Amino acid sequence: MFSFTHEQKVVEISGVHIGGQPGLYPTVLFGGIFFKGDPDFVDAKRHLQTLVELSKETGVPVIPDFFIRKESLVEDIIEFIEKTLPRHHPFSVDIIDPSVKIKTLEYLHEKKLLSRTIYNSIHIGTTKEEIETLRRHPPEAAIIVAFNPKDKSPDGKLEVLENGAHLAEKGLLTLAHEIGIKNILIDTAALAPGENSGAAIAAIPVVKEEYGLPTGCAIHNVVEKSIWLNEYPLAKKTVDVASNMDVPLFGGDYVIFGPIENMDLVIPLIAWQDILISEYAENYFGVSPTASHPRRKLQR
Amino acid sequence: MAEEYYPWGGEFTTCSATGCVAVVLLNVDYTPPDDVAIYGPLKTENIGIEKIVANTISNPHIRFLVVCGEEIRGHRSGTSLIALHRNGIDQNHKIIEAPGAIPYIENLKDEAIVRFRAQLEVINLIGVREKQKIDIVIKDCIEKSLPSFGEPYIAIRIKPEAMMSLTDKRALHSRIIIDYMGKIKKRGD
Repeated sequence: MFSFTHEQKVVEISGVHIGGQPGLYPTVLFGGIFFKGDPDFVDAKRHLQTLVELSKETGVPVIPDFFIRKESLVEDIIEFIEKTLPRHHPFSVDIIDPSVKIKTLEYLHEKKLLSRTIYNSIHIGTTKEEIETLRRHPPEAAIIVAFNPKDKSPDGKLEVLENGAHLAEKGLLTLAHEIGIKNILIDTAALAPGENSGAAIAAIPVVKEEYGLPTGCAIHNVVEKSIWLNEYPLAKKTVDVASNMDVPLFGGDYVIFGPIENMDLVIPLIAWQDILISEYAENYFGVSPTASHPRRKLQR
Repeated sequence: MAEEYYPWGGEFTTCSATGCVAVVLLNVDYTPPDDVAIYGPLKTENIGIEKIVANTISNPHIRFLVVCGEEIRGHRSGTSLIALHRNGIDQNHKIIEAPGAIPYIENLKDEAIVRFRAQLEVINLIGVREKQKIDIVIKDCIEKSLPSFGEPYIAIRIKPEAMMSLTDKRALHSRIIIDYMGKIKKRGD
């Protein structure tokens, strides 16, 4: 459990705070929806209701992360978000294909939803057309992925953020500022076992002390890629859920925890971890948690 | 020599050590016949491709790389792999004309890529998912009975033995100092 010397920025996205000294705000969770197959909107609606209830009960903010696989799904998914998600609830859109990203930004703009949008993500492969669209329609926040295929260590991740590591024309932080992204979240890019997977966790305190920006990652990706764990299905589920604890323990601010179906396990787990961190942070560093923190909500 | 093969572990299945075909599975539910050398899925357009290059050139018997199944959306990993074979990489290590989002080869020497392009013929079956069609192509490759390409090329070696090289004993990372109570500050400030 840590505290940082560098001033820590807290961003507010449609009422949800992310960042700051450990123990101040609760860890923010991102739960993935529509990652597999065609979107099941009935199922998703049920999950979103549970998400809102669990979040309210525990104090752990949870942001749904909508995966949009292809262009033909953009309108349906965005209209679903507009109709189903509570009016001020922030959400993120996770898209790989640049043309789908562009269409999504345009439609979010048309629907006036950009003030609640976290763009997932800007990285070294972000195209010129995508950058132009982001300039025209900047989302409220963006996740910047510090993936450096050349150097997967924390130094390599910083290099990509600072100067693009010869993989992008400029550093991703400069790019995000030039685009006009007000709220930046750094993702330390969790990679598969054998690809310096631990660096994603080690980089969290380094990035936070270097820039003071809200930082996290999708550490569950490492579990998903641990093929040997398939032989131990019960353990795999446990490890998948438990891996998320590494992020707040190393000072991180948010966790992308994978399928929303896991929220029943992940939300209480993170609430527990946040209470543990908050007790130390208050006792040794004098950081008292905000009113909505799990430590204030769950006093039994 | 076969124990030298496939130095970079992953989600692949090995079959015949002297087989001449490696099969790359994109989005497809297909199991190749036992007489291929190796098969497995490809997901990412950078590290995934690097693993395929390193592992195929480690076995000189492999002369054909069959890439089959539906392309991976966004990553476009299959087409990026074919672009690597066709065009190589530029001075920034980017695969020339690869359509994937982040198609960079960073963990292999240039000579490994030269070897990959020379040793293997790539068969583009992107979009093909039918077992019968893929089986026929594999059979055709095997019937060509091309000779071994020579010595294995070990592009990368994952050291299995325990060793320590503690050049920096400072906690976590050289850029930061963590005191005994957990207070972090930037080193040098």
